[in-house]
This record gives sequence, structure tokens and C-alpha cells, in this order.
Amino acid sequence: MTAVTQIWAYRNLIYNLAQRELRSRYKKSVLGWLWSLLNPASTLLIYSLVFGFFLKQTPAEPANNGSTSVYALYLFAGLWVWNYFNGTVTGAITALQASGPLLNKVYFPPACPAIANTATVLLQAAIESGILAVVMLLLGNLGVTVLLFPLLIVLLTLFALGIGLALSVYNVFYRDVAYLVTIGLNILFYATPIIYPITVVHGEIFGISVRTIVELNPIAQFVAWSRDVFWSGTWPSAASFAGLTAVSVATFLVGLAIFNRKSRDIAQEL
Amino acid sequence: MSVIQVEDVSKRFRLYTEKPSSVKEIFTKFGRTPDYEEFWALRNVSLEVEEASVHGLIGHNGCGKSTLLRVMAGIHKPTSGKVTTVGRISALLELGAGFHPELTGRENIYLNAAILGLSRKQTDALYDGIVEFSGLEAFIDSPVKHYSSGMFVRLGFSVAVHVEPQILLIDEVIAVGDEEFQRRCLDHLANLRSQGVTIVLVTHAMGIVQNMCDHVTWMDHGVVQAQGPALEVVGDYLSEVNNEEAARRPSDAATAGDAADAGEAIHIEGFELINGKGDVASFALSGDTVSIRVHWRATRPVEVPQIRLTVESEGGVILATTALEPDRNAIPSVGRFFVDYQIDHFPLAPGNYILKLVARDASSHVELDRFADTPMLVRSGGYVIDGMFDLRGTWGTVRPEGLA
Repeated sequence: MTAVTQIWAYRNLIYNLAQRELRSRYKKSVLGWLWSLLNPASTLLIYSLVFGFFLKQTPAEPANNGSTSVYALYLFAGLWVWNYFNGTVTGAITALQASGPLLNKVYFPPACPAIANTATVLLQAAIESGILAVVMLLLGNLGVTVLLFPLLIVLLTLFALGIGLALSVYNVFYRDVAYLVTIGLNILFYATPIIYPITVVHGEIFGISVRTIVELNPIAQFVAWSRDVFWSGTWPSAASFAGLTAVSVATFLVGLAIFNRKSRDIAQEL
Repeated sequence: MSVIQVEDVSKRFRLYTEKPSSVKEIFTKFGRTPDYEEFWALRNVSLEVEEASVHGLIGHNGCGKSTLLRVMAGIHKPTSGKVTTVGRISALLELGAGFHPELTGRENIYLNAAILGLSRKQTDALYDGIVEFSGLEAFIDSPVKHYSSGMFVRLGFSVAVHVEPQILLIDEVIAVGDEEFQRRCLDHLANLRSQGVTIVLVTHAMGIVQNMCDHVTWMDHGVVQAQGPALEVVGDYLSEVNNEEAARRPSDAATAGDAADAGEAIHIEGFELINGKGDVASFALSGDTVSIRVHWRATRPVEVPQIRLTVESEGGVILATTALEPDRNAIPSVGRFFVDYQIDHFPLAPGNYILKLVARDASSHVELDRFADTPMLVRSGGYVIDGMFDLRGTWGTVRPEGLA
């Protein structure tokens, strides 16, 4: 617990590191902040074209009130979750490595850069989900399940940060971790029903339904929650609530514990 | 009360000859001997720093003093032993660490203050003082990548000393910036100290150590060589350095002298400073009894031999001069001699001076030999001299005006 209170004591540093990251990110670019919109927009366009138009994918069901079946919106409801998770995990790894020179000069909790990075990714996620929310609101498709959104963000943050922290500290000792993570995230992206609806998954392996296996993936659950919020307007099952909460909190605690143990004398390794 | 307590601390570093940093290597090298060498940067170091005191860490490069400072700062954890500190620590291991080149001076002040553990509100309160001290008002809103290195350093120092630390750890950094800024830094440190800030200082500038530090720890190859009052330890350290220097080139002086000066009637071989206890010292202490011992060699008789001694300031101003005409009847005209010029109450303020020795024939005014301008170090003893030198006067008793 002392680790958490110490990080809390350095919250202003986290704020400043995040601010530094944001301020310097788009310096000297003509479009500046617009890039934070153009990037996800381009991904969305590509996926919509390839999977929605060429491969004729459709949403599992039309949105809650039947207002829309636009595949791009359905896709986006999952994509922002992925972007946030992906950005937090990879960002934590780079952030720790990049703060090596600083950690050798000044003492501060080494988790701060990763947390600051999470804050910047969170801002991006807020922009993306905010746009989605506005569009859905205009379509009249935003119900009471929007109350689920804050919990979704909190749990997803805990989950992603726990994984990111643990991986970032191992990456300091073995730089292979970053490469393995790139591959792993690539696999995970396609193993998660983001660009395709879960309903297209069929078949069995060793007598277990493949769909069940896919649904056990916490990211798949987060994506499903996001679609509950922004698309279908339904509530997740009690099992999903309990399971995802437990998994997220546990992942965070274990990740933080690993990080604290391994980062005890990290400065000399960086 | 001691605010820093270092108890029996050892620190081991692993110097990887070829670090196994990929998974393949872990498997291929599994079971073999580890490919790193162990290096003990600190061994069983213990020291205590009292509150509101200034503690100096001195020693050769690589003696472990910077590692010790980093261990105190919490950047490195000791391999064994314990470090206890009380109060907020601000470490100045490198000025402007964490400055982001693309951000403006103002943004960097907030960032750097946050790195040193300050809240936004605290930084707001200190902001004006920081900018004023740095003298960078005009440039505060330009990106720091456009700053000169001097400006960079000024801003960094200014932030670090204004964050109101209870313990300030400083590594060599005050040896930067122009003369004027350096003096301001030192003044500010003295100020902080009088406000109760504890300062630990790593430096090679013995003048700063002598003037600022109460206690000094002399490190050598990771172990504590000596510990104690600043004057004593620095004295020991300097004489050790001088001895090593002498040991490294013992014959230099002798041979060079012989070759160059074969033709001179009088050759000045050098001088030594003798302190009040009669020992050879590497510097003179203000207020102490100091003798300047001059050695020379006479190879031919000279009409009126004269040894002239001049003390100059660093800027070349002649401060004092005195001459000796040895009595030719008392000593042989050929041979090696020495003489002491004793000063009972050494009047010069601490600083660097230049000593000149000239041998001449006073009858013909012919200069026979000149001992190259040699720096002479004066350090403060327990005796304080403000200004350049002590007038050695005494004040009489105070009497009312108008009374006979």
C-alpha cells in the first residue's frame, strides 16, 4: 500500500509528465491536435472499407432502437477499447525505458512515467468514445446503459496498466519483451471480436465451444461492454460484472506487485 | 539530530561483459558461469550528517562518492546496510535533468519542480523567485532548446535550490556557470544552510569544501579513508595528493633543474610552506604561523646575492614583497642552502595567490634566476578574515568626545 500512497504523493509529477507528453507531441506539426482525430479516423476508414464493404461484415444486430446498422459505428465501439488497451500496454513499456536517464538523476516512483502515459492515452480514448457518444446521441441511441461507461473505463485502466507495468519492468531486463508484446498484441487483436461480431465464431475445440474461449478473453468482455453501452443498450450479465471486476483488480494488483518487486533497483539497469 | 544516517552500506554493481539480454542467450548460456564482473562501489560505508550542517564528500574520480550520494538520494538501493533520511530530499546530480527541449522555460520549471516532488500550488508560490534567481525573465517563454548551456544551467540550479528541500544533495554541479552566478549559487547555499537545510556536497573544489563544509568524508576506492572536521580531512587529503604527485615524478624536478640551470650562479630550487606545527603543508592557513622555506643552490660567488620574494593576487597585483641578502661571511659562497621567512600571524584572506622568487645580484641588478610563478593556496583556519588581508590593528577603548 505504501507504493500506492507514494505514487499518490507524486501525482503532480504524473500530471506534468503527461502534460509534457501532450504538449510536445504535436509541436511543429501544421495540423497539430487534429492528428489525434485523423489517426483513429484513418484506421476506422480502412477497417470499414475492408471488412464492411469488401467482406460484407454486418453488426450482429442493429443498434438498440434500430436507428442504425452502420458497420463503422459498430466497429468503432470496439476499436476505441482496443486502442486504449494497446496504447497503455505498449506505452508503459516505452515510457519506463525512456525515463532511464531521468531515473538515474532524481528519485521518483518508477511507475510514474507509465501512469502518465496512461493518462495521455486515456485522454485520446475519451475523445474517441466522446465522438462515438455524440454520434449515438444524435441518432437517439444512447440509453441508461451509458452509466456503465465510467466503470468500464476504470476496470479497463486497471487491467491494461497492470499488464503494462509488469511487462515494462521485464522489458528492462530482457528487451525481447517489447518484440514479443508486439506479436502478442497482434494475435490478441484478431482473437478479439472487434472487426467481426462474436456471432460469426463457431465450432468446438476439445469439446469446448470456441465462442466460449473467445468470450473468456477479458478484452472481448470489455469490447462487449462497450457495445452494451453504445450499441445495444443492454446490461452485461452478473457473471460478466463479477468476473471482469475481479480479473481487472487482480491483474492490477499482481502487475503492480511484480513491478514494485522488480523495480526496486531499476535505475542501475536502465 | 542526524538527518542522514548511512549504516554499514555496501553497494555492488554488476558490470556485464556481455549482458544476456535476449531470451535465446538465456537458454544458450544456461548453466554457464555468469558473464558479469562484480564491482563494489561502496564497502561498509557509515556516516551521519547532522541537521543544518554541510557535509563534504571528497576523493579521486571513481572513489564512490557519487554512488554514495545516489544511495542517499534513493536512486540506488544499497546491496547491504541501511540508509535512513529525514525530510524531503532534493538531489542536484545534473542540472536541468528532465528538461524537455521543446517546452518553454516556464513549462520546464513546473515539470522540473514536479520531478523534485512539488505540487502545482507550491510551484506557483515559488515561481517568481525561481525566474528572478535565474535572471531569465526575457526568455522564460521560449523553448529551452534555444537556451545557451549557461542559461540552461542557471534555470536548473534555480529550480533545484528553490524547492525548499530539507536535505540538498549536490554533485559537482556548482562548478558551472559564470563566476558571478557561481558566487550567487554559493551565497544561496550558505543561505539555505542558515535556514536549517542540510547539505551534502560532492566536489573537487577544495576551496568550496574548506569554506562551506563542517564535516568531510574522504572516500577512496569505495571505503571511507577519513572522516572528521573539514580542515583536518582536507589537509590530509591534499598532502596525500601531493605525495602521490611527487611519487609519480620524483626525478623530474631534479634533472630538469640540473640541465637548465648549470650556468646560473644561484639557482632557486623551490619553496615549501611550513605550518605552525613545523610540518610541511600544501596550503597556508589564515591567522596561522606560516613559514615560507626557500631552497637554493649557489654554484659561483656573487657580489651581493639577493633572494626576493613577491606575493601577488591572482590578478597580478603585487601585494607584498620582501628581500633577503644573505651574509656572505656567515655561509660558504658555494653550496645548497635554505632559509625560512616566518610570518607569525598569516594576514592573507583565503584564496589563491601567486608566489614569485627571484635571485639577483644586488650590486649589478642582474637577475640570476627566477622561480616560475607558483600558485599558493591560502585556506581559512579557525580565524575569519573578511576582505583581502588582516590589518593586524587593535581598537582602543571608547572615550566620550570633549573630555580631556
